[in-house]
Amino acid sequence: MLSVPYVDIAGQHAPLKAELLEAVSRVIDRGEFVLGREVEEFEAAFAKVSGTRFAVGVGSGADALVLALRALGVGPRDEVITAPNSFIASASAIALAGARPVFVDVRDDLNIDPGKIEAAITSRTKAILPVHLTGRPAAMEEIGAIAKRHGLAVVEDAAQAVGAELRGRRVGSLGSIGCFSLHPLKTLSACGDGGVATTDDPELAEHLRLLRNNGLRTRDDARMWAVNSRLDTIQAAMLLVKLRHLDRWTEARRVNASFYRHELAGAVQVPVDGPEEHAVYHTFVIQSERRDALKEHLQARGIGTSIHYPTPIHLNKAAESLGCGPGSFPITERQSARILSLPIYPELRPEQLAHVVRSIREFFGDGNPERVPRSPHE
Amino acid sequence: MMRVPFSYLDRQFADLDAFLADLRAFIPTGDFTLGKPLVEFERRFAELSGMPHAIGVASGTDALILSLKIHGVGAGDEVITTPNTFIATVGAIAMTGARPVFVDSEDGFVIDPAKIEAAITPRTKAILPVHYTGNVADMPAIAEIARRRKLLVVEDACQAIYGAIDGKPVGSWGATAGFSLHPLKNLNVWSDGGLIVTRDDELARKLRLYRNHGLATRDEVEIFGHNSRLDTMQAVIANRLVGDVPARTERRIEFARRYDEAFADLAPELRVPRRRPGVRHVFHLYIVRVRRRDELHQFLNARGVEAKIHYPIPVHLQKAAAHLGYQRGDFPNAEADAEQVITLPAHPYLTDQEIAYTITQVREFFGKT
Repeated sequence: MLSVPYVDIAGQHAPLKAELLEAVSRVIDRGEFVLGREVEEFEAAFAKVSGTRFAVGVGSGADALVLALRALGVGPRDEVITAPNSFIASASAIALAGARPVFVDVRDDLNIDPGKIEAAITSRTKAILPVHLTGRPAAMEEIGAIAKRHGLAVVEDAAQAVGAELRGRRVGSLGSIGCFSLHPLKTLSACGDGGVATTDDPELAEHLRLLRNNGLRTRDDARMWAVNSRLDTIQAAMLLVKLRHLDRWTEARRVNASFYRHELAGAVQVPVDGPEEHAVYHTFVIQSERRDALKEHLQARGIGTSIHYPTPIHLNKAAESLGCGPGSFPITERQSARILSLPIYPELRPEQLAHVVRSIREFFGDGNPERVPRSPHE
Repeated sequence: MMRVPFSYLDRQFADLDAFLADLRAFIPTGDFTLGKPLVEFERRFAELSGMPHAIGVASGTDALILSLKIHGVGAGDEVITTPNTFIATVGAIAMTGARPVFVDSEDGFVIDPAKIEAAITPRTKAILPVHYTGNVADMPAIAEIARRRKLLVVEDACQAIYGAIDGKPVGSWGATAGFSLHPLKNLNVWSDGGLIVTRDDELARKLRLYRNHGLATRDEVEIFGHNSRLDTMQAVIANRLVGDVPARTERRIEFARRYDEAFADLAPELRVPRRRPGVRHVFHLYIVRVRRRDELHQFLNARGVEAKIHYPIPVHLQKAAAHLGYQRGDFPNAEADAEQVITLPAHPYLTDQEIAYTITQVREFFGKT
């Protein structure tokens, strides 16, 4: 039986192995393991990807969020507004900065509903932290207008959205600071943990650089208390290799997405691109009332799927103290029972994509499961 | 002229083949996050440390931050440490929200236990001794104070891998200890990295959650946690190096012994710190005190001996510490050290000739042959 694993990290790395090792050896030969030349080169290259003046390499996407909040002065007694349907790190980052996460429900596109943000703003609100979930930009224009009206900072959680655009503007450039993850499962991935914080503001960039490097301006001059959260030089060297393939990989994801959308519309709820919205499909999330049975059905046919995420953040044990019980965010909660992520990575072969589509149609009793889907590459 | 380098990276990794062969096999597995080689390395590091649990984290700094926070240290608390350390020790305390409280160091650059009690207040939650330079702080005395005053002890063992007192290893005195695998440490990887050791099973379980977003399973979040994982790729490197630690450390200790002996008659111009009996000092840094420090520093560098200063400004006089209100004069030992310390190359990749050459240069500076 044709197997379609949900992710295939090895599949991306096997063809790049020689180039990656060569990049690693160059770093070793110079012994520049910490904040070496490749980190600067990668930061310069990434700033172009995010359309910002500055990019600062850090230890992880989660650290990018924590450092961004700290750089903006968010701390104890402050509140930060975010969505409850993200990966836990969006909310943890707020808690780790000492502030309180305040959730606002999402829209059908899985991103925070700007129409509900103002009702959540209090005198303690310091920032809005929209998440570009699945690689789709949140409603940044509306969010930006609200933030301006209330004097709030905007931190973009762009962990899943490297290269995504809204009206021709890259995510990461649409708030005060943009935060990206380079985790191995991301669309641009390190071979370990890594992240980037982006900004146009030179003072924030300098603040972020101090925060990631023990507050050290020079070896002997500590300007502020800070953490150690540096993007490894070795990872930066490997990321520079991968960056050359990013546009091609993203395009392949979008082609796969458009194939699924065309072939699955009617059977399940498929994600659609809004006007002037360039989503990068870190995940391709369908919705169905019969999600669990569908997942099992696909599993039996060798197709791996995933759920991002089965338990909304506010219903996790970690969030108990925030006091948001079941029913607090009905759309998120309803979606959490319906969402299913299909394999979407660039290395998927046409027959694998066709197998996914055929198996889903079969589950919904499509009259002719043997009908061959249109090839994604036509 | 001979050149005696401070860094050993080019010598240590002169032959990359074995490392690259390991990576060539590892990269295609894609097992990058909390993968098998990490589990193996944690087991081997635990064994090396003589402790049941070792938990890989992103850096030595994070090892301290996570250790303090998992015990609930935070805003309103005070943590006692010494200003004679790398800035990260104190940054770790401040990052938890707690207030760093300083106690002066003793002759061997580690916290003076006799001065700790005077610094304890009702807000004191923990003592964070630093095994600075690879010397081991006076843990029996510190543990006794902590027991009596009901304080937590977290050891900053970032520079002291394989250190011990009377055979009892660093990391076994406190509730947890933080280690660093930074490229210039005694056990090093090719990036930032760190470890926490503990003997407490439940604490180990919680730390494993805490370094990984608080995830009990992929989908269940028990606590709001950090993302602070030692990269599995770095564990691949560490697995090739960890077995050498005892032998390499013995070589550091032997070089230090030669220096100590060769400099014994240079006092009071050059003073070798007191070596407490029973301590396995692992000499991450070999530091002596010299009145004409800056002159000697220049002299040695001109003679090809790459000496360093760790550190010219004690932490309490850094700008970052201004809000704590300390002044010059508050910690005379740490301040005198900042003016007098000089670090000589003493790493295990040096040759006997290079050590002898360094000794000759130092003695020549003081007019002794």
